[in-house]
Amino acid sequence: MMIGLLILSEYIFLEPYVVAHLPSGSELGFVLIVMIAAFSALVIPMNIFRISILKSSKQKMGGGIFGSIIGAAAGACSCGPIGFAVISTFGSVGAAATAFLTNYEIPLRIIAVAILAVTYFTTVKSLKVECKLNS
Amino acid sequence: MNKKGAIIGVIVVAIVVGIAASYSSPSSETVNLDMGRTHGSISTAMGSPILGDPSAPITIVEFGDYQCEQCYAWFHETKPAIVRDYIDTGKANLVFVDLAFLGKDSIPASMATYCAEDQEMYWEYHDLLYNSQEHVDNGWANSERLKAFASSLDLDYELFESCLDNSKYFKRVQYNIQQARDNDVKGTPGFFIVGPDGQQKIGGAQPFSVFKQILDSMI
Repeated sequence: MMIGLLILSEYIFLEPYVVAHLPSGSELGFVLIVMIAAFSALVIPMNIFRISILKSSKQKMGGGIFGSIIGAAAGACSCGPIGFAVISTFGSVGAAATAFLTNYEIPLRIIAVAILAVTYFTTVKSLKVECKLNS
Repeated sequence: MNKKGAIIGVIVVAIVVGIAASYSSPSSETVNLDMGRTHGSISTAMGSPILGDPSAPITIVEFGDYQCEQCYAWFHETKPAIVRDYIDTGKANLVFVDLAFLGKDSIPASMATYCAEDQEMYWEYHDLLYNSQEHVDNGWANSERLKAFASSLDLDYELFESCLDNSKYFKRVQYNIQQARDNDVKGTPGFFIVGPDGQQKIGGAQPFSVFKQILDSMI
């Protein structure tokens, strides 16, 4: 997920060469992407485990996915191919949406990190209880 | 016979009036451009003036939107090095072609640069826009601000205002946007490095090292 987000946010380019580039002023965005990817990598598998093995509630899964989606969407730069495709397809509505995602990229990513962090801690807490009960 | 003559007369008068009207009506755009100007597969006839030596062997064609954050990054991080090492030394030149799509202020901003070009201040206005960029459609590039930018460059305000308010260069910007589509440009900034033996496409605000590698391979 991290590589995908970094490509979407144009920190990594694949053509004409594979290049990683951190423009000055974008360090915070990069750190937030790493955090989102790390939390997602923890939260989503934990909740899949809870749902499939423990047959527990899907509620926290939703929180993890929601946070991941917000974090990913905030990085879909309106200038890049995805934003271009959205604007070309949906016109002014698409432009408004991508402009919002771009203009509020950092706050949206921070919110995503917060959602994922809360989901992580509540999932850990739940797993401790659920695993004990089942065993 | 009289009826036939009357019909012919009406047709002739209509043709004459039509020809007269086409010559006398103010054209929406005064284009005094080299319409044959192309670089590689791209018609740059309606793009910017050439930055650098027109006879340089390599041309960098940049597709951009003045509200594009990545274009801003490229303008500040990579372009200075390219100008220093390739444009100022005569190895390459640069043409900017509008791909104005991000917001409602994108097209007016592009039109405004050509209004500045009317007063031979295209690149100064272009640079000023990228130096003044804020969030997409937050008003930083609305009509009043675009005119204020012109004032700050000591342009003839009335001339500039008339040009902008009448959307004098709307078709020019639309032509450039179509060029982007025709050349499969899917985002901004987008670049074509056009050399003597072909062209290379670069998508996004890639670092100077990528441009250097391609430019050096073409020299």
